[in-house]
Amino acid sequence: MSIIEVRDVKKTYPLGKVEVHAVKGVSFSIEKGDFISIAGPSGSGKSTILNMIGLIDKPSAGEVLIEDRPTSGLSDKELTRLRHEVLGFIFQSFNLIPVLNVWENIEFPLLLGRTKVSQAEKKEWIDWLIAEVGLGDWKTHKPNELSGGQRQRVAIARALVTKPGIVLADEPTANLDSSTGEQIIELMKKINRELNTTFIFSTHDAKIVDVADHIIRLKDGLIVENRRLNGADSMDQVKE
Amino acid sequence: MKFIIPRIALRNLSRQKKRSFLLGGAIAFGIMIVTLINGFAGAFIENVSENFSYLMAGHVFVQGAEKTASGKRLSVIRDDSIIFSALRDSGLDYEFATKTSEVSASLYFEGKTIRQTLTGLDLATNLFLRERVVLRQGSWDTIGPDSIILSEKIASRLNVLPGDRITASFQTITGQNNIADFTLAAISVDSSIIGSTMSYVDLAYINEAIGLKSGEYMALGFMLRDLKAAEPFAARLYTSMAGMGIHLFERSAGEEGTATTPFQAMMRAQRTEDWEGSRYSVYTIDDIVSQAKQIVVALDGASLVILLVLFAIVMIGINNTFRMVMYERIKEIGTMRALGVQRKEIKSLFLNEALFLAIGGAVSGIVLALIAMSLLSLIDFGMNTPAFMIMKNGHLSFFVPPLRAVFNVVIIAILTLLAAYFPAKAAAKMEPAVALRTAK
Repeated sequence: MSIIEVRDVKKTYPLGKVEVHAVKGVSFSIEKGDFISIAGPSGSGKSTILNMIGLIDKPSAGEVLIEDRPTSGLSDKELTRLRHEVLGFIFQSFNLIPVLNVWENIEFPLLLGRTKVSQAEKKEWIDWLIAEVGLGDWKTHKPNELSGGQRQRVAIARALVTKPGIVLADEPTANLDSSTGEQIIELMKKINRELNTTFIFSTHDAKIVDVADHIIRLKDGLIVENRRLNGADSMDQVKE
Repeated sequence: MKFIIPRIALRNLSRQKKRSFLLGGAIAFGIMIVTLINGFAGAFIENVSENFSYLMAGHVFVQGAEKTASGKRLSVIRDDSIIFSALRDSGLDYEFATKTSEVSASLYFEGKTIRQTLTGLDLATNLFLRERVVLRQGSWDTIGPDSIILSEKIASRLNVLPGDRITASFQTITGQNNIADFTLAAISVDSSIIGSTMSYVDLAYINEAIGLKSGEYMALGFMLRDLKAAEPFAARLYTSMAGMGIHLFERSAGEEGTATTPFQAMMRAQRTEDWEGSRYSVYTIDDIVSQAKQIVVALDGASLVILLVLFAIVMIGINNTFRMVMYERIKEIGTMRALGVQRKEIKSLFLNEALFLAIGGAVSGIVLALIAMSLLSLIDFGMNTPAFMIMKNGHLSFFVPPLRAVFNVVIIAILTLLAAYFPAKAAAKMEPAVALRTAK
């Protein structure tokens, strides 16, 4: 079953008097539980595609379906609600809220929207996530008291706290050294297996791309490779 | 949202401590100045009334009036037993009563002359007057039947010294011209514009000079324990006297929209109304000095203008700061929006921060003003300062009406929210992808 379907999506940005065609028409689908890498060099359209799947940017043309729901006609309020309920985000620069400590940063998405979770249930879940990302001793620390790797672990726990079906990670290892980057990818993979959460991450690091079980490679806003590593290659669209 | 937005807003204030301190400090300073003015205005009317009542020797007054067969109006109380009887019947309590007569006279000394109102009262026994009138020269011990006490200003214009004999010319109550000689017993300190115009003489001596019989006088003043009791005292005395069949001039509330005091309105009614026989007027010190209330209104108006001008400047600062803050926190705005924070909650985050800043600044300003008031009220300016009339026992005194303080805080809160509204709206309108991309 496809959890995400991208249908002939294009994205054009105005840049001064010219238009930049960041994504030139791509189509692919993602299955539940996939661990997908969107790879490609800088400017190939990775982040733009992730933003459109993450409903924080709108396609200029085409359609993004999340859990079979078309998203193009939704209002900002509905998109925000859908993001909160279905999606989790991990950013390249961690993007933690500086005035909240580790526990509060992870708790933050649970305090938004209409989610009703009992205090005991919430505490148990957040404590489990903190233990899972290995930050049991750092609960009350503020982001500026943590290393880059630790901050990204907090971001992973925060992305998972609402139990989303999909987690989007835009270059999650770009600001980390290679060893920490590998640990973060390991952690994401482990959670992917344990919770069957779909992970979609963009990267241009070849070593990390190989960890994925589904690779979508981009160049100049087009898909040049769409391959499942379990053998069933799927070239939905390949354009040179 | 379970208070997460206000919690973040509050903590955000501590991120740029210096900036928050300066903005909050500007608000606090403005509120402090305005609260000090309000505090001064709040105590002004009471201080003026209280000090005036000591100079006039009473908080509540009963004045007698009589119309002769020829239609001439006399100011006289021939028999005060009926007034004291009314007081007893109504169970009213007072500290002491002072009998006074007043006459407008020309004072002469060695070719110099000056027009002056002479207030006659029992100089030998009026202890309250002795407490309030500070003597520059002479002594209360030298007071005799023909004594006169003049203020420094009047004494200087007449060029007189204690012991000098001054001649006064005036009209008796029936309109005859008369003269009397007085001995300058003491010169009082010019304690205020009003205080410097007061000249005191002995009641019995002036009564005889203006043609009043023994036991007669013009007005009876009651000094009460508390100025606030003046109005209820006057109202009950009026009712009691009216109940005893005594003819009274109706008490007036003054003339709306004019500078006329209730006392002036009552005096005008005595002249214009058709009446005969003897009548009484009951009035309070507030009825006489109510013009001072216009000064309070002016002070309050000035404080509101200062408040608005100060905060127009502060608003520009707040507006610019919040625009800057919006760009500083653009990544956070994008992150929050991505995580599921709605536009209105982003706006609320900024507005909450502005509100906390306004309330924090305003409350600090009020606290600073209260401290400043306490310190200022410790300074003893003495009883001989020109500003004596607006002070309480030679000290500055303040009273901030609580509702006025709340009003100031609300005004500041509204203005600050207004200043932060447009940056907050701009932050809320920002697309999450644009915010995140800009931050990169």
